[in-house]
Amino acid sequence: MKILVCIKQVPDMESRFKVNADGVWYDERDLAFRMNEYDEYAVEQAVRIKEQLGGAADITILSIGPARVVEAIKKGMAMGGDRGVHVKDDSLAQRDPWQLASTIAAFARSKNFDLIFTGMQSQDRGSTQVGAILAELLGYACATTLIGFELNGDVVTARRELEGGVKAIVRFRLPAVVTCQLGLNTPRYPTLPNIMKVRQKELLAFPVADFLTEESLTITEKMYLPEKKGRARVLEGDVSQLADQLLAILKEKTTVLR
Amino acid sequence: MNFDLTEEQKLIQETARAFAQTELEPVAARLDQTGDREIFLGNLKKLAELGFMGLNIREEYGGAQAGMIAFSLALTEIARACASTAVTVSVSNLVCEVIQSVGTEAQKRAYIPKICSGENAAGSFALTEAGAGSDPAAMTTTATLDGDAWVLNGSKRFISSAPYAGVFVAWAVTDKTAPKGKGISCFLVEAESEGLVIGKAEEKMGQHASATNEILFNDCRIPKDALLGQINGGLRVAVGELTGGRVGIGSLALGIGLAAMDYATRYAQERIQFGQKIANFQAIQWMIADSYTELEAARLLLMQAAFRRDQGQSFVREAAMAKLFATEAANRACYTALQMMGGYGYSRDFPLERYARDVRVTSIYEGTSEIQRLIIAREILKNVNHE
Repeated sequence: MKILVCIKQVPDMESRFKVNADGVWYDERDLAFRMNEYDEYAVEQAVRIKEQLGGAADITILSIGPARVVEAIKKGMAMGGDRGVHVKDDSLAQRDPWQLASTIAAFARSKNFDLIFTGMQSQDRGSTQVGAILAELLGYACATTLIGFELNGDVVTARRELEGGVKAIVRFRLPAVVTCQLGLNTPRYPTLPNIMKVRQKELLAFPVADFLTEESLTITEKMYLPEKKGRARVLEGDVSQLADQLLAILKEKTTVLR
Repeated sequence: MNFDLTEEQKLIQETARAFAQTELEPVAARLDQTGDREIFLGNLKKLAELGFMGLNIREEYGGAQAGMIAFSLALTEIARACASTAVTVSVSNLVCEVIQSVGTEAQKRAYIPKICSGENAAGSFALTEAGAGSDPAAMTTTATLDGDAWVLNGSKRFISSAPYAGVFVAWAVTDKTAPKGKGISCFLVEAESEGLVIGKAEEKMGQHASATNEILFNDCRIPKDALLGQINGGLRVAVGELTGGRVGIGSLALGIGLAAMDYATRYAQERIQFGQKIANFQAIQWMIADSYTELEAARLLLMQAAFRRDQGQSFVREAAMAKLFATEAANRACYTALQMMGGYGYSRDFPLERYARDVRVTSIYEGTSEIQRLIIAREILKNVNHE
């Protein structure tokens, strides 16, 4: 079984963000970066499949971006990936989902991956498109926002999370691309010996030009922080007064109690 | 000159931070108040499984072989959440390192993997006695050879992890006639050894979850091959290995200091007095500025000591400076942070009073600040020419 896991490195979401000088992306200076949370579910699920198959799987961890993304690739390898692929691209922030998916597809096309895992979205761009476009480009089955995953032979039974708390169960044959949602699993911590052994694993690097031939289809014109409106209101009084006030506000201003 | 961590070091720091925030922080206050040993030992086991008990230990003995910078980073992150857990990790690493440094191949294979894997909850370092603290050469515990066994008699004081340690690295006098400090040897004493008694638990000011006990050797018989290192060469082992431990304790103190200041600084941005956030007041701003400056200086001293060790350079002076400065800076930071929070700092509803209690011992154990100053002065003076 050949598995590809596509991951992205994103800023720590507790960072304070500023829009950059071009006004189309956030300022990356002084930010701490880590693996996109949804991609951690993807790596974990891939490693679990390998364990389920008694090790009879080969996991490639791929990421596109500048030199810093190697840290995220290494984390994926420390969690159980067999090799890393770094597609070197200093202009990641300007790529749209079509370009990213095209780049991955160009890498993956000749490699006959059986299963491709990725997060259901990145925590920074949040387009939720890359996995689905990649499946389309490769002609693979696709299932998104997975919260359950079961593999029997070459058939996947997956549980999807839809809007409004609705769930769905889908079944499809490999090869397939799946995108992972919060709740699919609890990602393992990489052990320290495994972190140190990553150096012994294969880490391939390619310039993005080897795979990227497409122009972007969407362009970010402006990125901005929303204007602050309204003010927080601090309720005062004893506990029962606080509860009464809160109840009144919830009834009046929200649909929670209707 | 390069201040960047390697990718591996960053990943170890990230793993330690994530584990500490998820598993240790939520139970730290409860552990402080109840000393719940089941939870405490459960967390130690998980840390061992992740590789935190053998950070500097070679792979063949079950270690991570990650180096001392990684050790320092990990301890700071763990101590930000739970100082009791951090000190146990630090001491267990130290025990593994002593055995790796001077043990026979059989001793290394017998003891180190058990600590690294978590089969043993901890390792214990039994040097201090009631009358031998800063002056370990004054110890009175004895070991005499009786046929094919060493027989230990005496007692040790303030022994971390004694009730759940799998093995004790213990020091005893083997030649009473030798000049002071030249007749002391080091031994590996298994927890189940006949005649080893775990005595009274200390009631401490802080770091409550980490047990600290007296231990007694009552005709404690251990095999002849339990001698660790050279006969009568034990004190040098103790003094040498404590150098690495100093980086551990300094890093631990830094973690507590950062936790305290981070908490108090967030509070200062929210607390309203005189119609504004108290962070607007210069008195509070200076506290924040001074504390973080000192903690940053502590971090750099620790990183320098750890870096020298990882490069195979001498680091005795640097480790002593780092331990001295980091533990005292962390004590000041905790005092300041508690002051910033006023009455809430003194209340058990907030973690500041716990940080202030937990940090206090860091300038005492594994070499008091006064002993660090002696070491630093000695290291400087020996390089200055004199008539």
